[in-house]
Amino acid sequence: MQEYNNVSVLIVGAGPAGLATAITLKNQQPDLDIVVIDKAAGVGNHNLSGAVLEPGAIAKLMDPIDPDWTESDDAKGVLLSKVNKDDIMFLLGKKLAFPIEIVIKMAKAFKLGFGQMTHSGDYICSVSKLTTWLNKVAISLGVEVLYGFAAEEILWDAEEHIATGVKLVDQGLNKEGNPERGYLAGEVVNAKTIVIAEGCDGLLAEKFVKRAGLTRQAAQLYSIGVKELIKVTDEQYKKFGEDRVVHAMGYPIWTPAIGPGMFGGGIMYPMGDNHIAVGMIIGLDYKFCDFNPQDALTRFKGHKFVKQFIDGGIVTEAGAKMIPEGGLYAIPRCPKTETIGRSNVMLLGDSAGLVNMCKIKGMHNAIESGIAAANAIAESIDEPKGLARIYTLKLEQAGVLKEMATAKNFRQTVAKFGNLQGMPLSVLGGWLPKFNIEPDYKTLTTSKYRLKPSVKFDKDTFTAVAATEHREEEPCHLLIENETICRETCLGKFGAPCITFCPAGVYESVQGQPKAANPSNCLHCKTCQRKCPYDNIRWTVPEPNGGPKYKTM
Amino acid sequence: MSHYIVLVKQVPDVSQITDNAFDPKTGNLIRTRLPSVINELDAQALAFAHHMKTISGDTDGKVIALTMGPPMAAEVLRYSLGRCADTAVLLTDRALGGADTVATANPLAHATQKICTELLGGSNDYYIISGMQSVDGDTAQVPAQMAEELNIPCVPYATEAHYKNGQFTFTRIISGGSQQVQPLSKPAIVTIAKYEHPLFASFARTRKGNQMDLIQWGADDVKATAVGVTGSKTRVIRVFPPGKTTRKCQQVESTKELAKIIVTNLAQNSDPKDTGAEQSPDYILPKKRADKLDRRYEGTVKEMNDFNLLAEKLKELNITDIAEVNEKAKEKILADKSISFHKKTLDDMLNGLALSKPEYSGEVWVMAEHAENNINDATFELIGKARELADSLCTVVGVVLVGDQVKSMAGDLIAAGAGKVYLIEDSVLKNFDPHSYRTAVCDVFNKYQPQIVLYGATPQGRVLAPMVSYRVGCGLTADCTGLDIRDSSRKGQIAILMQTRPALGGNIMATICTKDSSCQMATARPGVMKRLEADANRKGQMIEHSIELTESDLSLTIISTEKGQGNVNFDSGVIISGGKGMQNQETFNRLLSSLCGSIRNQLDVTVEQGATRTAVEQGFAERIHQVGQTGTAVGPKLYVAIGISGAIQHMIGVANTECIIAINTDPNAPIFKQCDYYIVGNAEQVVPELAETIKAG
Ligand SMILES: Cc1cc2nc3c(=O)[nH]c(=O)nc-3n(C[C@H](O)[C@H](O)[C@H](O)COP(=O)(O)OP(=O)(O)OC[C@H]3O[C@@H](n4cnc5c(N)ncnc54)[C@H](O)[C@@H]3O)c2cc1C
Ligand SMILES: Cc1cc2nc3c(=O)[nH]c(=O)nc-3n(C[C@H](O)[C@H](O)[C@H](O)COP(=O)(O)OP(=O)(O)OC[C@H]3O[C@@H](n4cnc5c(N)ncnc54)[C@H](O)[C@@H]3O)c2cc1C
Repeated sequence: MQEYNNVSVLIVGAGPAGLATAITLKNQQPDLDIVVIDKAAGVGNHNLSGAVLEPGAIAKLMDPIDPDWTESDDAKGVLLSKVNKDDIMFLLGKKLAFPIEIVIKMAKAFKLGFGQMTHSGDYICSVSKLTTWLNKVAISLGVEVLYGFAAEEILWDAEEHIATGVKLVDQGLNKEGNPERGYLAGEVVNAKTIVIAEGCDGLLAEKFVKRAGLTRQAAQLYSIGVKELIKVTDEQYKKFGEDRVVHAMGYPIWTPAIGPGMFGGGIMYPMGDNHIAVGMIIGLDYKFCDFNPQDALTRFKGHKFVKQFIDGGIVTEAGAKMIPEGGLYAIPRCPKTETIGRSNVMLLGDSAGLVNMCKIKGMHNAIESGIAAANAIAESIDEPKGLARIYTLKLEQAGVLKEMATAKNFRQTVAKFGNLQGMPLSVLGGWLPKFNIEPDYKTLTTSKYRLKPSVKFDKDTFTAVAATEHREEEPCHLLIENETICRETCLGKFGAPCITFCPAGVYESVQGQPKAANPSNCLHCKTCQRKCPYDNIRWTVPEPNGGPKYKTM
Repeated sequence: MSHYIVLVKQVPDVSQITDNAFDPKTGNLIRTRLPSVINELDAQALAFAHHMKTISGDTDGKVIALTMGPPMAAEVLRYSLGRCADTAVLLTDRALGGADTVATANPLAHATQKICTELLGGSNDYYIISGMQSVDGDTAQVPAQMAEELNIPCVPYATEAHYKNGQFTFTRIISGGSQQVQPLSKPAIVTIAKYEHPLFASFARTRKGNQMDLIQWGADDVKATAVGVTGSKTRVIRVFPPGKTTRKCQQVESTKELAKIIVTNLAQNSDPKDTGAEQSPDYILPKKRADKLDRRYEGTVKEMNDFNLLAEKLKELNITDIAEVNEKAKEKILADKSISFHKKTLDDMLNGLALSKPEYSGEVWVMAEHAENNINDATFELIGKARELADSLCTVVGVVLVGDQVKSMAGDLIAAGAGKVYLIEDSVLKNFDPHSYRTAVCDVFNKYQPQIVLYGATPQGRVLAPMVSYRVGCGLTADCTGLDIRDSSRKGQIAILMQTRPALGGNIMATICTKDSSCQMATARPGVMKRLEADANRKGQMIEHSIELTESDLSLTIISTEKGQGNVNFDSGVIISGGKGMQNQETFNRLLSSLCGSIRNQLDVTVEQGATRTAVEQGFAERIHQVGQTGTAVGPKLYVAIGISGAIQHMIGVANTECIIAINTDPNAPIFKQCDYYIVGNAEQVVPELAETIKAG
């Protein structure tokens, strides 16, 4: 049995990045044993995005597999349509909406950073569906994609500067952390090469960054996306249009002068079968201690412009996920060699932070990074220690880092100067010096969100349609480092904001003690570990097979 | 060294049923919209087998996963290999498709025999472990029928295995308690009702399992004797969406309002219990119908309508004798615009109209169940139903009473509506043993040949019925909620039993009838059928049936039986139940007793406490208080469910309640869709307020 614990290439995470690696590599080296693991119970379950997908990367991935891939039923079922009508709206108050794509187009003409915010010609798709398709392609090539396996620890040989494998999460511990009947200690998987494609704020990725001594020039910043899939009537769907996407700025998170002033915006995408995806993306550097991103979603859904398309609709699915927004300066690198990863370990996609925040897009870069990693491995499997170097070079050659450079100060500028000045200033992004922006958790104040809806957001329904659950008896995977702070400082000062901002209602105050009372509701968005004002919460990887069950997110 | 053959089945994931899974036009479930998973109880069976192997210390014992299904069912075998199975067998064949439980149990039984000779070196030292039932079929018949085919002991409803002195002992659920048993011989079948210790997939095993070749057999390979549609003893007449519940589902905002509802509800007179016998039967045999062309008792509405049209047409043509219908008349009929059927159908219908002889003959029987000298409520309900069926068929209700010194209970059965009581007494029959009981029942069955036999869908009935039916070669439908006599004239069948039951976790309903059998058998859900008012003046006959039985007719040694403690009166007017939402035993007792107390004192009714299975497991209440599928089915005037989610297994047990009130913190609690009034709120707050308000009058 032991031999089955050894693999040549271990890919952690079956998102677009991980699957792109597996597909490209297996296609080139059919005899290589490549294993992809994912903590979700099934394919696509933990992948959430918008999404509009830039067509270049997916073509680059699929062309070598099947030149006619665009004609396949799978591709057609996933890449629903190309964006034809690209609405960028500015919402003012509850009723007014102004199209501003003209401003963006002009910015584009002048090659200004935020001019990248256009989507015409992009594919509209759901990333859960995209990964379902890519998983099928990978399997047909002979890749082993194993769901229900979560990595917890990277085995790093500090002397040899090489990773030897990963340890999986223990299963079958009880609430107190003791083994119960059926206990299975986390197995060690030995691997020659490790590809970390865990998505945003990956646990393994962050442990690796520490162990291998990678550094960031600037702290990573995050946004949280909360999203609902809403089934609407034939008329509403027709009126919205199958090939139209809406991006909205302004209300309810930003109004010039009077506030609130938060970074982000609303999205609306048609998802087929009379479903419209409606979401809100919000920078985690917001300052209101009573703010819940779902409140902004409620307001957005209530805006006259949005409401006309979804009024009376049924929410069939929902979810939440973070986006890494720090950009170029927040990519972890080896301080000496500047490699994104080190030795035989590579960091891909959102785990590296390859999201272009001018565009709010990361899928194309995730795929590009997968192709780059695969090419690197194909070139140098026998000398794995040089992989991170070759991988970084290939990322460079693919233009990914260049794209990241054009957007490099966008988010920091906005954070520093606010939307009104920051957006135009970000134009200069490329030339501006690097800013030092504080991590998101430090920005919270005691001020309140002016537009808080009177009705409490129904988190129970939200988690119910996200279909999330964990084994009830497992140890709580949300660790609070110092409970006294929560009780004696945070509760009084901020009202324990985790209770409010957690989209799944995991946190509750039980007899005066804020705690992760319902860990089994967790959606794996990890907002808590980035927004707790005392940096007091650690999200750890729970037993695999838990978490949401996204199908069309 | 014992080996383990684990039966695993692939089922649609009913936990993921959303509105999207239903066809908006027909209301039917679209199965392909649901992902496929391993049946949860089969996953538990795997864990159970693994546990048995572990506690026996026998590392060489083999675990073999066996499934019958389409090629896609290989997925559940991979699932098993990733956890504990060493080998996996896929029984797949077009010929096996469309099978009912008989035609499933039979090939599976033959496959286990082949496994025994080919993979276990002919050793008889093995256990067949399976989930008690699957979520799509819900019948629990397959394992028991396999036991019958293989003639081996069956330990139904197991929850735990122990190992001592080289022997396994099993804990199993019985009505109102549990039992420690040992099978008297090997191999034996153990069915798992609940074993919630998870068994996790290992990385290495999963990889190995994915690379391993599965053993694949077809129907001929295993030499099955009953397969597919032809081997089946039942056929599905139609599938339809369940009717909308008639519960009011009204949200109540304040405890004051809720208190008022409780008070007015208990003040009202309840509907008099259906007295059945006094009413005219709802089916009339063709011979007794005034109009020979009257075919208003067809099994499906479409057939009924077709016959009505035909009757009208015949009247138009002035034909009174069916024999007069010649080719010319047929042409005339078919030419009519309103007639949508073809010639072949017309011929079948005309043949059907000529028929009047019922398909089956004999009495309508009920299998009595009893404990501690008391007849089980389910039995009385079945007698009520049997009486209705027997009246329609102009025959007698017979009740079979099996046990040791049980004669004294015959009077109750007659008072409840039995025309005859068939009494089988023997010391060997003191306790329920599947083998000795089925031997006794088959014997009396063979002698008197009834046309219908009804069993309660209780832990006992659900084992006994499949064994008896398999042995005497009759079809069986599990867990019926509707039983009606109808005709299927076009198929040439008059006065057959239409058996309606929920399937797929209650998401669809199916009407089924028996085929290729001498008798029609069904188990019926407790709490659904209405009993008759007991009447000491009813007359009945007792027939003693004797049979030679010895200790060798037993299959299990009963080591001990544990009953829940205390006395419970579930015939009370009000039952107040608590679930896991009560958090702990202290809260459970405090809240329930205060509410029970104030209702009892203020409103002068009998009040009893109930609990969900989860609450019992948490130690909040004794097992004897458990309401539901494996507990007791109750039918009070008022049922108050506090901190109960509304799981199907619990709600089955309260179907007969007049008014259900639910208190739950979760605004989306499923129980809110299955109750009359509900309040969203914390029990800690709502219940004391409610008790106070009622007390204050
Ligand atoms: C609301 C929102 C809108 C967006 N809109 C767009 C858009 O319109 N266009 C666009 O291009 N991009 C968009 N993005 C960004 C895009 O979704 C991501 O960049 C992309 O999905 C990243 O892919 P990935 O493969 O790196 O990670 P992921 O898709 O996150 O996949 C990571 C996988 O790793 C698994 N995993 C994590 N940890 C472990 C572990 N320890 N062990 C095992 N498995 C693990 C997870 O279960 C997951 O399946 C959006 C993101 C959000 C949140
Ligand atoms: C073969 C089989 C047989 C079974 N037989 C039975 C049976 O006979 N009887 C039976 O009951 N079950 C039976 N079950 C189990 C059944 O499936 C459910 O697991 C069980 O009924 C759930 O019990 P519950 O409602 O108490 O717990 P849960 O499902 O955990 O629900 C607890 C509820 O309490 C609510 N709540 C929490 N806190 C509060 C509060 N403070 N105030 C108010 N509400 C609160 C929650 O919102 C939740 O809805 C059987 C299962 C199987 C597989």
